[in-house]
Amino acid sequence: MESATSRLLASAIQVSQGAEAKVFKAYLHPCEFASSSTSPSDASDGRTPILLKYRFHKHYRHPTLDTTLTKARVAGEARAIIKCLRHGVNVPGIRMVDTAQGVLGLEWIDGKSIRLLLGGGAEGEDETTEEETEDDSHEIEEEDPFDEYGISEDDAMRMIGTEIAKMHRADIVHGDLTTSNMILRHPSSAKGLQLVLIDFGLAYTSTLAEDKAVDLYVLERAFASTHPASELLVASVLKAYQEHMGKEWLPVSKRLDDVRLRGRKRSMVG
Amino acid sequence: MLSFHHHHLPAHIHLALFHPVSHAAQIRARIVRASQLEGPEGDAEREAVNFAFIDARLITSTLHLQTAIHQAILAEAQGALRTKTVHSEILWALSPNNNITEAIRRFGVSDNTTALIVVRVGSSGIPDIEHRMKAIATGDIRPLSDLSKLTDWATVKKYYKLNADPAMKAPGLSPEQQKLVADEIVVSTVAMKSVAA
Ligand SMILES: Nc1ncnc2c1ncn2[C@@H]1O[C@H](COP(=O)(O)OP(=O)(O)O)[C@@H](O)[C@H]1O
Ligand SMILES: [Mg+2]
Repeated sequence: MESATSRLLASAIQVSQGAEAKVFKAYLHPCEFASSSTSPSDASDGRTPILLKYRFHKHYRHPTLDTTLTKARVAGEARAIIKCLRHGVNVPGIRMVDTAQGVLGLEWIDGKSIRLLLGGGAEGEDETTEEETEDDSHEIEEEDPFDEYGISEDDAMRMIGTEIAKMHRADIVHGDLTTSNMILRHPSSAKGLQLVLIDFGLAYTSTLAEDKAVDLYVLERAFASTHPASELLVASVLKAYQEHMGKEWLPVSKRLDDVRLRGRKRSMVG
Repeated sequence: MLSFHHHHLPAHIHLALFHPVSHAAQIRARIVRASQLEGPEGDAEREAVNFAFIDARLITSTLHLQTAIHQAILAEAQGALRTKTVHSEILWALSPNNNITEAIRRFGVSDNTTALIVVRVGSSGIPDIEHRMKAIATGDIRPLSDLSKLTDWATVKKYYKLNADPAMKAPGLSPEQQKLVADEIVVSTVAMKSVAA
């Protein structure tokens, strides 16, 4: 039998495909209901889109185990998000949950990923496909993609550090802090300019400085692998992080040094 | 009054906001009595009050209301209702805990309700539905855009336990921004209720 949520997915537009989930843009509520006083109207037809994250079946897994795991992951992501919301961490709001179908519906964030803004290209995209068209336009002077957001690149890095610190102070470890999992929300949105952390599929609760340090190490590696001059960018992120962690910074910082050392040793061996 | 349905769901929804409502105690008494009457008279009374009655003071936005209705219909479509009907399920979805009696007492019609949302979810549209709504709830039918003016934020914060949340105490939040933050937590809480820790 076709379920309600699979009909919703069928009407949605796919925006990305990961190893665990397909992500779609969809409209949850009928238009008659759209004119809310608080939510901003979408430029197109006054409706607000949502994001659907659909964890598809893994056929190599036993069906019962697969369903159980999928339910647990959807629930886990939703719980991490609500905890972040209550702690004032900028994350997408939750719009629907259907664990039976493996679907989590989230607030659509209107903006661009930090990865794209730093010129990293879309995730999984070949980085040398860009064509240099040399026509008579005035585009020789490179445009700063952050201009549209009214901030500098360094401001954005500081916003990242601030948000991660808020999350870690709430004892939430993200588990996948890449620049694709950070979206700069456009200043024209109702909630205004924000650095929004997304993708809590691997998030968990921990009070351990070690776990928070590993989170930061993943972030350092992610910056290094996709962005040139990443040391300066990461330094700005960590500076803001430090300022917002208060006395929690020291233990995390010590652990981060250990984790970096372990990482270097591992790469020398491997 | 609004009548609509979601393309992906098998239900039709009729919904109206009544304000001001001066006879909430009578409405409540009628609902209670309908549940106790027997025979054809009881059936007729139960049909007359076959709605979800929601105290509009506790609704922070149309999205809040939409989210509760959507999750309730989804549960019904999956045969996963946690309460007796899709209407009581809407009240259960609105409430941040699992106690259905408390959900109805807090989010349903009470003797001092002055703004009332009446919702009917059915398998098909009902032609004279506005008439039927007006037969139980008197008062003006107001546009849903009035909801934000009717919200009792102090009670919302208490029921959804927002007062202890760091998000609400973030420095430099204007009262308007604080309402947006509160609304987001409330909406998300309703949306994820089925998997709440
Ligand atoms: N709330 C959102 N609003 C807008 N775009 C989003 C949102 N969440 C995710 N995306 C986009 O979809 C992509 C994949 O979503 P994500 O949650 O990161 O799933 P995955 O686990 O597959 O990486 C993101 O990199 C981002 O481009
Ligand atoms: Mg991702």
